[in-house]
Amino acid sequence: MRKIISLTTFFLILLIPISVAFAQVQTRIRVIEASNVGSSIDPSLRDVQSELKSLSNFTSYRLLKDENLSLSLNRAVDIPVHKGRSLEITLISQRKDMAECRVKIKSEGTDILNTQVRLFSGRTVLIVGPKHGEGLAIIALSARF
Amino acid sequence: MKDSCSVVSRLLEKYFDREMTDEERSLVEAHLLDCQACQDRLRSMEELRDLVKAPVEEAVQNEDFQWIWQKIERGIRLEERHTFWETLQAWLQISPLFQRKVWIPAVAAMTIILLITIPLFFKKTPSLLDQSVIEYVESQTHNVMIYESENKKVTVIWLFEGPAEETPSS
Repeated sequence: MRKIISLTTFFLILLIPISVAFAQVQTRIRVIEASNVGSSIDPSLRDVQSELKSLSNFTSYRLLKDENLSLSLNRAVDIPVHKGRSLEITLISQRKDMAECRVKIKSEGTDILNTQVRLFSGRTVLIVGPKHGEGLAIIALSARF
Repeated sequence: MKDSCSVVSRLLEKYFDREMTDEERSLVEAHLLDCQACQDRLRSMEELRDLVKAPVEEAVQNEDFQWIWQKIERGIRLEERHTFWETLQAWLQISPLFQRKVWIPAVAAMTIILLITIPLFFKKTPSLLDQSVIEYVESQTHNVMIYESENKKVTVIWLFEGPAEETPSS
């Protein structure tokens, strides 16, 4: 009987890394400032360069923040993004190739955006605006599986 | 002489086949020198041997022993060949590892786990490009516009306050 329990435990231990791998999602959050000061685009924004250019008439796209977060299920992570704004992101569900997240943008304590997005491998969600002074804050969300 | 003849006649076949001791052979040979009857019997045996020998040798020469040996070899191989199931059974009997019954529930548990997990890995999901990215979006303070890039790799959620603010150029 003891052997049966040990063997079952052994096989369950084998499954732990698989379940742990499924419990977390690597999310990349980039904060970009679009402005007309200069005319450069940060090299690390190459994957969304054409979309950024099509968004507006701004000439410069500067990367202010590039964070890789490991999101756990139903645990909200709050990060400051730009000039009194913060982003709260919570992993709600996940699949092998998709992570569903609730995203809130707060400005000085007030929710200015409440959304739920599905992050797929190789796809990016851009949250653009609102306009802040002469520039525009853009948040790029993506996930790696 | 008659007694000697009866003794030698029993030994005569052995003598003919050369299967006797030196002592017996000396006895027979000494008797043969004087006994015409035993000489005749020995001669009959030699004639009979000669009669049989020639056709047997001829038959042996005509026989294809190579072909016979091939048949024997094939028969041996067929006898040695086992089915997969027999091989497996033999292996399980040899292996002390599988003689323990504790492996039965372990293998059963592993099979169940594999049956559950394998379909998850091979589950077909709709193309990423066909799936919606935004589940819902709301803002109490701003107008919201959503659009996707042409290649569907980027989805944009645009927050703006009114017509005077910066809006998408495309």
